[in-house]
Amino acid sequence: MESLLGEGVDTVFGYPGGSILNVYDKMYDYADRLRHVLVRHEQGAIHAAQGYARATGRPGVVIVTSGPGATNVITGVADAMVDSTPVVVITGQVSNAMLGTDAFQETDVVGMTGPIDKWTFQIRKPEEVQEAVAKAFHIASTGRPGPVVLDFTRDAQVGICDFEAYQRCTHIRTYALPAPADEATVEAAARLIDDAERPFVVFGQGVVLSHAEEQLKAFLKKGGIPAASTMLGLSALPSDFPYYVGMAGMHGNIASNMMTQQCDVLIAVGMRFSDRVTGNPSTYAPRAKVIHIDVDRTEIGKIIPVDVGILGDAAEVLERLTQRIRFSFHDEWASLARRYDRAETEKVIRPETRPAEGPINMGEVVSRVAELSRREAIVVTDVGQNQLMSARYSRFAQTRSFISSGGLGTMGFGLPAAIGAKIGAPDRQVCVFVGDGGIQMTIQEFGTIMQEGPAVKIVLLNNNWLGNVRQWQELFYSKRYSQTRMLNPDYSLIAKAYGIRYRCVEDRAELEDAVREMLEAQEPFLLDAHVREAGMVYPMVPGGHRMDEILLNKEEWYRDGE
Amino acid sequence: MENSKMYIISVYSENQVGLLSSISNIFTRRGINIESLTVFPSEFPGIHHFTFRAITTEHAARQVVGFIEKKVEVVRAFCFPDSATSAAEHGILEEYLQKRNQ
Repeated sequence: MESLLGEGVDTVFGYPGGSILNVYDKMYDYADRLRHVLVRHEQGAIHAAQGYARATGRPGVVIVTSGPGATNVITGVADAMVDSTPVVVITGQVSNAMLGTDAFQETDVVGMTGPIDKWTFQIRKPEEVQEAVAKAFHIASTGRPGPVVLDFTRDAQVGICDFEAYQRCTHIRTYALPAPADEATVEAAARLIDDAERPFVVFGQGVVLSHAEEQLKAFLKKGGIPAASTMLGLSALPSDFPYYVGMAGMHGNIASNMMTQQCDVLIAVGMRFSDRVTGNPSTYAPRAKVIHIDVDRTEIGKIIPVDVGILGDAAEVLERLTQRIRFSFHDEWASLARRYDRAETEKVIRPETRPAEGPINMGEVVSRVAELSRREAIVVTDVGQNQLMSARYSRFAQTRSFISSGGLGTMGFGLPAAIGAKIGAPDRQVCVFVGDGGIQMTIQEFGTIMQEGPAVKIVLLNNNWLGNVRQWQELFYSKRYSQTRMLNPDYSLIAKAYGIRYRCVEDRAELEDAVREMLEAQEPFLLDAHVREAGMVYPMVPGGHRMDEILLNKEEWYRDGE
Repeated sequence: MENSKMYIISVYSENQVGLLSSISNIFTRRGINIESLTVFPSEFPGIHHFTFRAITTEHAARQVVGFIEKKVEVVRAFCFPDSATSAAEHGILEEYLQKRNQ
């Protein structure tokens, strides 16, 4: 059964149950070679595997039982699909003879996961195991990565078959690996870039997935091109990289959104034009010829029509493009970013991160963590205001340092993902920012922390509201706060029950000291930061608007040139 | 807005349990109604041939083809307006399979 070892797997996240018992029994013999992290709910297992995969670049592995075990991982499978995270999920299944009979804990895993994963396969015979596992790892980790589900019936688990030396899969006849990009498209893109006066790059997680960070830097330097990141692309470039202008999108930096609307050539690298990035797509980058580099053919032209689509791996394409383009400078254009940054700093950033009085702000907490962790931490986030604040105010020095649920926006992702990230990268500081809503969706994983001991630093941005929904209700639903007020438990008692170090901070004067204490701790730590209840994330491009229609606060729209 | 018309979407794939349902899901998700469907073994050993007819726009038909081709077991997919003949299809596929060294 343990083809897993052949793939170099050393850690799995799982939860045992009836239909997977035979695998767990076998695992007992492998305890010295295979670490099993026992989570408290299957959703925790898959999010932890996602955190592990995003921190390490290796596929995360999940083992759960049939029926409810399988349905509980579905959210994470959908999340990993849209965020291109390599995960191999092994589910137990009832015996072949009982398939389709509504047997105890039987569910149609193949039917349910098919539309939301990269590949699903039901293994019915022991002889199929090795090949299927090899294919699963190959498919999950190559091309545009994604989740793969292997449904092991009981017969596949109990039978005995010869296990020869494990062979990795390198070729499937119906599954093409990324080929070198078409020369003509690369050449056409190079010509467009050379002729551009205001070229602009928006890059996404594809840069991280294809290990193209250095190629991107070389490309930007040679072309003198300013660049913005999508949320999942964060940390692919260091925050202080000279050509980096910030994050694009609904709550992105003013510079990146304004420059998107003004550029004459937009070069999109490993990103998918999410509606959170484009606003209204028909008004997105209206003056630009668009070059889209992506490894997934269906992404090219899906949302934004392209002038040149380059199908290929970002690292390879960027390297060839860099060779083809001329050395250029666009200093006047690139320096626009500084003007926008000045306005954003004055209107939004300084009031958020350095307020003089009142309750602690969310951005203030994120900022202090970024400063005191010397930009070295892996930042994991949940979903909502905590996520947007973390994305806006964290600072990064190295790649694979930002882990968040982007496309699916799964509340409850943060805590288990941080556990997985810390287990995958034990030598790095891992800080998770989470709201009081999200933490309670997967709070049972405190038990995993207690048992396994990963030293994750949990920053609870506690405002007693479902803050992001509250923000929308305040702005767009006439302050009718329907079901967003939350009564919170006493987190100090919860932390105590799980043996997790805890500190509560309410005063600005104590914040820095509390963050320092958390970062210096060698063990798991929960920092309960009581933040401004009515905290808002700005700037904001309201959904469906043009990307240069930017709200700076409740009343004020950004006006260029001021 | 593009005009909708009848398209033939033709798919060659490995013969695997569950594939028809996951391909038809790609239509369902976009609200495209399948007018007719035939499935039969193709002229290539081990490869099945699905033919869908559906009323949709060219953009949507191309998107559907892209997503169908993304399925691991699918060899190739094509789309044609119902009026066009697909004589080229056979040749393209034959060359493709030879190249992939089946």
